[in-house]
Amino acid sequence: MREPMYEKDLTAMKYAILESRRHDGMVREIAADIGVPQLRMRRYLMDRFDMLLLENLPARYEQGKKMREGSPEPERALGSHLYTRAVPIIDEGTMGQILEGVREMVRKGIPLDQAVNSGKERMRKEITA
Amino acid sequence: MTKRTVDVSIPVGPVHPCWKEPARVKCETRGEFVLSAEVELGYMKKGIERIMRGRPWQEVMFLAERVCGICSVIHNMVFIEALEKISAIPVPERAALLRVIVNELDRMQSHILANFSYCYTIEHETLGMYLLDTRERVMDELERITGARVTCAYIVPGGVRFDLRPEDALHLRAGMDALERDITRYMGMFEHGPLIALRSRGIGILTREAAREACAVGPTARASGIPDIDRRLRHPTYQKLGFAPVSREEGDNFARIMVRFQEVLQSIALIRKCLDTLPEGPIRGGGIPGAGEIAYSGEAPRGELSYFIKTDEAGRVVEISIQTPSIMNIEACCHYMLKGVASLADVPSTFVSSDPCIACTER
Amino acid sequence: MTMLQSLKNFVRSKSIHVAYVDVGSCNGCDIEVLACLAPRYDIEQYGIFVHNNPREADVLLVIGAYTPGWEEKLKGLWEKIPDPKAAIAIGNCPISGCLFARPHTLVDPPVAKHIPIAVQVPGCPPRPTEILSAILSVAPTVFKDYEVRK
Repeated sequence: MREPMYEKDLTAMKYAILESRRHDGMVREIAADIGVPQLRMRRYLMDRFDMLLLENLPARYEQGKKMREGSPEPERALGSHLYTRAVPIIDEGTMGQILEGVREMVRKGIPLDQAVNSGKERMRKEITA
Repeated sequence: MTKRTVDVSIPVGPVHPCWKEPARVKCETRGEFVLSAEVELGYMKKGIERIMRGRPWQEVMFLAERVCGICSVIHNMVFIEALEKISAIPVPERAALLRVIVNELDRMQSHILANFSYCYTIEHETLGMYLLDTRERVMDELERITGARVTCAYIVPGGVRFDLRPEDALHLRAGMDALERDITRYMGMFEHGPLIALRSRGIGILTREAAREACAVGPTARASGIPDIDRRLRHPTYQKLGFAPVSREEGDNFARIMVRFQEVLQSIALIRKCLDTLPEGPIRGGGIPGAGEIAYSGEAPRGELSYFIKTDEAGRVVEISIQTPSIMNIEACCHYMLKGVASLADVPSTFVSSDPCIACTER
Repeated sequence: MTMLQSLKNFVRSKSIHVAYVDVGSCNGCDIEVLACLAPRYDIEQYGIFVHNNPREADVLLVIGAYTPGWEEKLKGLWEKIPDPKAAIAIGNCPISGCLFARPHTLVDPPVAKHIPIAVQVPGCPPRPTEILSAILSVAPTVFKDYEVRK
């Protein structure tokens, strides 16, 4: 039997997209914000997105960042819109749960940055899982 | 990765009779209904940005033009204007207007080609051939002014390469009159054709929210009711010409094609205005690009085109990143328009209606 | 060669089916090939029919400088075209890589390394008339002396 002709490994080509300067800067920023290693982040993006979305990521990221600045806490600190709609690295359902958890903690009197940190911890788990 | 249950995943492409360039769209379907689409690229990745790094601007200028062969003039214009902004090189008034003329001619031929492709895809070959013939006349004008049909390298720092001769200006005026007559006629044919409406109206809808989310630009966004996306509004020469963008509200295939038709007519009006106000004077002021860093955008036929450039003192390009409009538009098309297309037969026509240019997308 | 075969060959050389494939160009040559369809050049009056189906094609127009995405695929496409066949390289890219053949590039020109090229049309991009005359010049030679192998 012949090998299936059209399904080939796209990793190398996806990597070629991500190594452009703007993509690289964006990946670094996201990785630093969430707190995962860059290589891990890059791998995650390559596994999850198709090539067209990868190409479009910088434009979407810039726009998502603008939205993030205008949104209320703790959405702003977590970047809930940015990471679900603009750069969809986390499912909306999961992000909803994380957001709910953070809000709950804030209600209980835990300082905001600590609550956000625990939310980011869950995002990290989501990515490195 | 999670697995979803679908009937069948149908790949369209990479070599497809209706597409000018290779791309592979994998449509996940339930019956004829398209649930989602995934795009596989990599057939056109030449690594232009990688080649450009560390090269003098004289070389990068020609490479920039060859990012896209259809809208080559705007790539030339945006790159050169970015260099001019970096080094504060003035442009003579006459040259600025000549740039607008050539840019609008390029936009016309690109829009007419896009509409031809759409008509060809919905199998309205007659209208398609009319349009392709009209495009040749635009190419003639472009060739008379710049000396080449495609990749003309007309715009240089501090001006343009050739002056507009009086006989060419006359020819251009006559050509614009003929074009306006023809395009108005074809626009009427497209607008009132009952079969065209069946294949176009209400198909491949891109809502305003989706267009904003995918950062759609150009005619694709303007057909979804976002007129202020036009970068020409922020260009000083266009501001002087009193430019106002066109837009439509429907957001379907029909609206996208009609926006392009309207923009062709608008370009004709702009060229006439340029010819009327064209002052006498020099066309090249000279100037040497130096060191600096800039993000500069211009309005390509397909939408906003951005160059992020860093140069050194010798005018070498140290860092460059190009964001072409097709990236955003094809993304909007494949991840939003194609979702919920009622029939697989509408996939090629919807894809073509967003005027995809894979060469730009991948560079 | 039988009389019938040579008659067949003669007739077929008057009706050429063309497929084009873009293996990584700037799109300029694509649209010049497309412009050949325009009523001004009217490619069909010469008996040339452009459609993009390799299974029916006699002549393959290769455009572009061979990107990594086409590894394996271009060869597969070439094998799909039934005999007799010829490939025409349109533009500088498939011939030399033009200005994409520089350090750090991803392309791998010339295309002749990967599939046999019969005719080359240089230009960046060549004019539609040049493309047209190249197809016409290759048409008689494709079918010349062709016999169905038993």
